[in-house]
Amino acid sequence: MTTAQQDTAPKSFRPVEFELADDGQGFLLGSRCSNCSAHFYPVRQACSGCLHQDLETVRFSTTATLYTFSVVRQSTPDFEVPYALGYVDLPEGVRVMTQLTGRDPEDYELGMEMELIVEPFGVDEDGNEMAGFRFRPKEDS
Amino acid sequence: MTGVYVIGVGMTQFGKHPDKDAADLGSAAFMEAVADAGIDPRQVEAAYCGHVFQGMVTGQRILAQVGLAGLPLSNVENACSSGATAIREASLAIRAGEHDVVVAVGTEHLTTKFRGALTPDSSDPEAAVGATMPGVYAMRARRYMEEFGMTRHQLALVAVKNKRNAAANPLAHFRKEITVEDVLQSRPIADPLRLHDCSPVTDGAAAVVLVSDRVAKKLGGGRAIRLAASTLFTGTVDVEPTTMTFEPLTQRTARAAYEKAGIGPEDVDFAEVHDCFSIAEVLRVEGLGLFEQGTYPGAVERGEADIGGRLPINPSGGLLGKGHPLGGTGVAQVVELVRQLRGEAGVRQIEGAKVGLAHCRGGKAVGIEGAACTVQVLVK
Repeated sequence: MTTAQQDTAPKSFRPVEFELADDGQGFLLGSRCSNCSAHFYPVRQACSGCLHQDLETVRFSTTATLYTFSVVRQSTPDFEVPYALGYVDLPEGVRVMTQLTGRDPEDYELGMEMELIVEPFGVDEDGNEMAGFRFRPKEDS
Repeated sequence: MTGVYVIGVGMTQFGKHPDKDAADLGSAAFMEAVADAGIDPRQVEAAYCGHVFQGMVTGQRILAQVGLAGLPLSNVENACSSGATAIREASLAIRAGEHDVVVAVGTEHLTTKFRGALTPDSSDPEAAVGATMPGVYAMRARRYMEEFGMTRHQLALVAVKNKRNAAANPLAHFRKEITVEDVLQSRPIADPLRLHDCSPVTDGAAAVVLVSDRVAKKLGGGRAIRLAASTLFTGTVDVEPTTMTFEPLTQRTARAAYEKAGIGPEDVDFAEVHDCFSIAEVLRVEGLGLFEQGTYPGAVERGEADIGGRLPINPSGGLLGKGHPLGGTGVAQVVELVRQLRGEAGVRQIEGAKVGLAHCRGGKAVGIEGAACTVQVLVK
């Protein structure tokens, strides 16, 4: 079943919240309440709207709107600065923090249409490359 | 149910203390508070210790230093609201009738635990994509500027005001006044925030002695200040994303406090609010209902929040000027309130102050508005 190629393919940096499909596309994972249809990121065990516990894990849309952003110039040693950090609103009604990519920091605008892309995102404890998500302006695709 | 009074306060110098640890600082504040209350240390019945990064049983290490090992004590962690939560827990123990004399102490030796930007816990999905606390507040600042037309100059004036107050506070970390130019030329941290928009990495501790009605009458010596409300809430998970330029959590915590104290925001004479960043002060005072949404930057520009202004905010210098030793912060705010209400605040004295409010809000976890928020109302 497992091939050598799959063994060396990048793995998701946060498998609980971010899933890589076979074709390399990435999806944020969250919960959808089967009772009231509210969506949550990340996966929850009960609905904060109606307290139902029958929640389904779903893949979210890969498009979003940029709510706000900053350019982080001081961070932890795990991250090379500067990087653009933003909050994007997904059509499901969830807001997700993400790094932004594709533009000079000054060229992002609030309200921009964005899309999720898969990018290298550090290495794991064994030195294997991991894949994470960033959002870039949709018009750049 | 008994009322709760503060009869003693203590606070260390805030700043860098390379030769001390969190227990040393907490012990010094603890003993000062007990001495200020004028009680025999043996009258203390229980204690609560607020801290974030100081490791297991920090409170017990304090008790051992001050000669009171053996008392019931709980260590309390609620991020930047840890110290304020310790006060709330102490007040609940008194209101429940379990104890009459309780010490709440908050301490942090942050310079040995953290450098640079504070981040959420490493397990959090937002930490995994590079969340820093300055980054989060910077994003809120950008959105607020866009929605309400706040200028970068107006935002800088918050830091200028608080560092001016701190310059008049002998216990503050920063004792130097700064100008708007200083803020705008300081090192960029997370656009649009710069170094002077951010609270520093500070060591320090503070403590208060809380007592019941009965003991206040006997021991208060006329200096007792009533803790009219001490409320705590955690942020909710929103079913739809809501604005980040207003704080429903702060509003909810404040409304509960106003109701318990039997007052409204118009009755507050001054406030210490959680200005971990310049933009945070704007969001706090508007969430508390002390200023209308969108109006605080203009009010600061007109001097309304100065000592001597219509409604002084952070007369101690706040977190920006006095410093932010996480566990110590919420307790130090109440120390300032008590000193102001007693008329012992020296050159920072707010004339005729009768009602003071302290607000803390700390912690970041994915998908919730804020981790822990507290409001304390003190009445002369």
